[in-house]
Amino acid sequence: MLPPRRILIVDDEESIQKVVRLSLKMEASWESMTASSGVEGIYQAEIGQPDAILLDVMMPDMDGVETFSALQSNPKTKAIPVILLTAKTQAAEKRLFQQMGVFGVITKPFKPLTLASTISQLLSWPS
Amino acid sequence: MSSISTVDKSVAMPASLWRVISDTEPLVFAGQTRLATAIAQLRDRPTAGCVLSVYRQKVVGIATRQDLMVALAQNPDWASMQLSEVVSRPVITVTGSAVREIAPIVDLLERHQISYLPVVNECNQLLGVIDRPRLLRALQAEENNLPDPARRARLFSDITLKIRQSLQLKEILQTTVDEVQQLLEADRVLIYQVLPDSTGKVISEAVASPFPSILEMSFPEEVFPEEYQTLYAEGRVRAVADVRDPKANLSDCLVEFIEQWCIKSKLIVPIVHLGEPPTEAVGETVPVRQHLWGLLIAHQCSRLREWSAFELDLMQQLASQISLALSQGYLMEYLEERVKLRTAELTEANRFLQQEICDRQQVDNALRQSESQLRLMTNNLPVLIAYVDRQQRYQFNNQIYEDWLGFSPTEIHQRKMQQVMGEADYQRMRPYIEAALAGEQVSYESELTFKDGRDRSVSVTYIPHREAADDSKRAGRKRGADEVKGFFALTTDISDRKAIERMKDEFIAVVSHELRTPLTSIHTSLKLLATGLLGDLQAEGQEMLTVADENTDRLVRLVNNVLDLQRIESGEVTIDACDCDTRELIEQAAEMLQGMAQQHDIKITTQAEPLLIRADPDYMMQTLTNLLGNAIKFSAPGKKVHLSVESVAGSASKVSAKAPSAALFCVRDEGQGIPADKLHSIFERFQQVDSSDSRKKGGTGLGLTICRKIVEQHGGKVWAESQLGQGSQFYFTVPLSTVVSLPVVRAH
Repeated sequence: MLPPRRILIVDDEESIQKVVRLSLKMEASWESMTASSGVEGIYQAEIGQPDAILLDVMMPDMDGVETFSALQSNPKTKAIPVILLTAKTQAAEKRLFQQMGVFGVITKPFKPLTLASTISQLLSWPS
Repeated sequence: MSSISTVDKSVAMPASLWRVISDTEPLVFAGQTRLATAIAQLRDRPTAGCVLSVYRQKVVGIATRQDLMVALAQNPDWASMQLSEVVSRPVITVTGSAVREIAPIVDLLERHQISYLPVVNECNQLLGVIDRPRLLRALQAEENNLPDPARRARLFSDITLKIRQSLQLKEILQTTVDEVQQLLEADRVLIYQVLPDSTGKVISEAVASPFPSILEMSFPEEVFPEEYQTLYAEGRVRAVADVRDPKANLSDCLVEFIEQWCIKSKLIVPIVHLGEPPTEAVGETVPVRQHLWGLLIAHQCSRLREWSAFELDLMQQLASQISLALSQGYLMEYLEERVKLRTAELTEANRFLQQEICDRQQVDNALRQSESQLRLMTNNLPVLIAYVDRQQRYQFNNQIYEDWLGFSPTEIHQRKMQQVMGEADYQRMRPYIEAALAGEQVSYESELTFKDGRDRSVSVTYIPHREAADDSKRAGRKRGADEVKGFFALTTDISDRKAIERMKDEFIAVVSHELRTPLTSIHTSLKLLATGLLGDLQAEGQEMLTVADENTDRLVRLVNNVLDLQRIESGEVTIDACDCDTRELIEQAAEMLQGMAQQHDIKITTQAEPLLIRADPDYMMQTLTNLLGNAIKFSAPGKKVHLSVESVAGSASKVSAKAPSAALFCVRDEGQGIPADKLHSIFERFQQVDSSDSRKKGGTGLGLTICRKIVEQHGGKVWAESQLGQGSQFYFTVPLSTVVSLPVVRAH
C-alpha cells in the first residue's frame, strides 16, 4: 500500500481530471486537487502545496511547458515535483521535457491501475 | 604588226609584173608575237601564204601557212607559243635590184626548194615577198592568156570568203563544190571522203543538168586502192583530159566504171588533213600523220577538157582551205564536245548543288522548327530546365529562369553555377552537383527565393549527360565506359504540394491528438470499471465491458500508429543517433515482450553478437518490439521465436552497397509463413497477409510500415523471407558505428 499523497491534476479536460482522480483513489487512495488551466494550476499549487503535480501539456492559453516554467520560477511552487501528462509521445519530445527539469512524462492513455505506482516510481517515493 | 616600206623603184622589174608575182604587203610580226595572233591574221588574209618575223625592219625568220598549221597541230599549248618558236632561219632574201625577170627567180626557188622569197632593198629593208603560187600563176597567165592573176586572186578570195562564212563543215564543203562548179564551169564537182576502211563516199556534190548525181554514193576499196591513197596523200594531183586516153593509164574496168556517170575528163586534187584533233591524252606527244582525208574532184561530162594550170592551182588552194577548215572544224567539234561535256558536268554539278542547297534548307528548316518547338516547350513548362557542363557552367536555361528568379538565359549563359546561385546556395547544392558529374542521378528538395522575395519549396533532379568516351580518353578506363559531359537540371516548384502535405499532417496530428483525450477517458473508465471495484456487473454486462475494453485498446494502438507514421513521413521525427550496444537492445526487447510471450505460450530465444550501431535506441526498440510482437502473435502456442543480431559485410545481399558494414537483425518465428507474393507488400500500409488479422490479432496494419520507415531513416533496409508452414524471418540492417566493437558474450 502506498503512503497517502495529495496530487494536483492540471488538465483542461474535465473527463481526464475525473478518471485520473478516480484512478489514484482506487489504486492508492490518494487525494487529488484539480485545476482546468495553467493559471489555476499555479494558484492551486501555491495555496494547496500538493506532493506532486500531474500537468497536461496541450492546454489553451497557457500550455504545460509555460505552466511548468512559471511553477519553477515561483519560490512557493518551485520545490513541487512535476510530471507531464501528454498525448505527445515522440521520444525526442520526452527527452526535451526531461531536460527541462520535469520528473517524468506519462503518455495518454495511461494504465489507470498502475498510475499511482508509476508516479511513485518516477518520483522515487518509498512504496 | 610592223609596217614596211614598199618602194617599187627599188625593184628592177616593171612595177605591174612586180605586183603580180609579189605580196607587197606581207604579214610581218615581231618575233615575240603570239602564234595565235599570227594565225588569226593569216586567216583574215587568204592570199597570204606566209608570215615574216622582223627585227628592226630586217627579216629574220619566215613561216609558211603549212608551218603554222603543223605547229598548231603538234603543240597542244600552241596558244601560248610565240612566232619566233616556229619561223625558219636564216631567211634567203634577194635584193630588189636583182629582181629583173621571172625565170631566174624560179631557178632560185627551185635551187633552194623554197616557196617564198622576201625581197629587200639595199638597206636590207623588206619590199615584198615573191611567192611560188603567184609566180606560177603569172607564168600560167602568160602561157594561157587566161584571167590575169589579180582577177584570179580575187575569184579565189571570193570563194574562200564564202567558204569561211560558215563554221559548219558540211556547209563549207557544199559551198566549195558549188563555187568551184560555177567558176570552172565543170559538169560535176564533188568531194569524196576516204573512210578508215579504204572505202569512200561522195559527201558533197554540185552537178549540172542533165548529169546524174552520185551524192551519198559509196564506193568499194577497189575503186580507190590503198596505193593510190598513198600517192595522193603525198600530194599527187591528177588532171585527166580524156579518161579513155591510154596515157591516162586508167584500167579498163575503172574507165568502164566511171563512164557509167558520163565522165569524160576529170581533175583530182587531194584533201590532206594534218593530224588528229586534240585528244584527252593531255601531255602525250601525238605524232603528226599527214593522211588523205578525201579528194576534191571536178568532172567534165559533156566534152573532153584540158585542165589549165590555173584550174589546178585553184583546186589545190581550195583543197588546202578545206584541209584548214577540217582542222578548225575538228577543233570546233572537239571544243563544242568539250563545252557540251563541261556544260553537262556543270549542269549536273549545279543540279547537285541545288539539291544540296535544297536539302540543307530542309535540314535548316527542320532544325529551326525543332529548336523552336523545343524552346516553346521548355519556355512554357512550369519548371526550371538547364544544362550544365563539366565546368559547372550553364549552357542552356529556359525562360522560366527569368520568370522565377530574374536570371535572363542570355545573361547567365556560360556563367558558373557558383556565380549565379551565390556561395551559400551553391555550397548546399555542391554535393548533388558533384554526384551528378560523377554519373549519379540525384534528387533533393530545397528552398529557393524567387525574384519577388517569396521562399518556395522546390524539388531538384540532376540527370547526368553521358556520352561514349573517345578512344584517346578511354585509355585506362573500362571498355565501353561513358564519359559524363554535364547534367540536365530540372527544378519543380513543390510549394503547393508541400503546403497541402503540411495541412494534411497538421490535420492528422490534430485529429490524432484530439482523439487521444476522449480515448484516454474512455479507456481509463473502462479499465476502472473492469476492476469491479466500482460495483459488480452481470455476466452479459461484464462481457460487453470486455469487448469495449479490448476495442478501446485496439483504437489506442491505431491512433498511436497513425500518429507515429505521420510524424515519420512528415519529417518531424528527429533521429537522435548514438552508439548503441546491439546486445542490450536485443535483451531489452526480449524482456519487454516476455509477458506477451508467456500469455501466448511462446518461448523467446536470443543470440546477439556484441556490436555498436549508430542509431536512436528508442526507435530501434520500437522496431524490434514491433517485429517480435508480430512473431509472437502469429505463432502457435508452444513454438519458439528467435531474436538475433550479427555483423554483415557491406556487399551482403540486400544491404546497401554504400554501407561499409552493418548489423543484421533477424526475428525468426515458427508460424504459418507468408506467401511469396505478399512478402514485398506487407511493408505497405494496411497490407496484412490476411485482412482479418487486424481483428483476430489486434494489429493496426501500420506496424511494419513504421518499422520500414524507421530502418530507412537509419540508412538500412528491411525485408522478409518466409516458407509457408515453416515460419518467417524478418531482417533489417543498421550501419555499424565506427567505434571499435564490443567484447563477445556467449549467446543464451
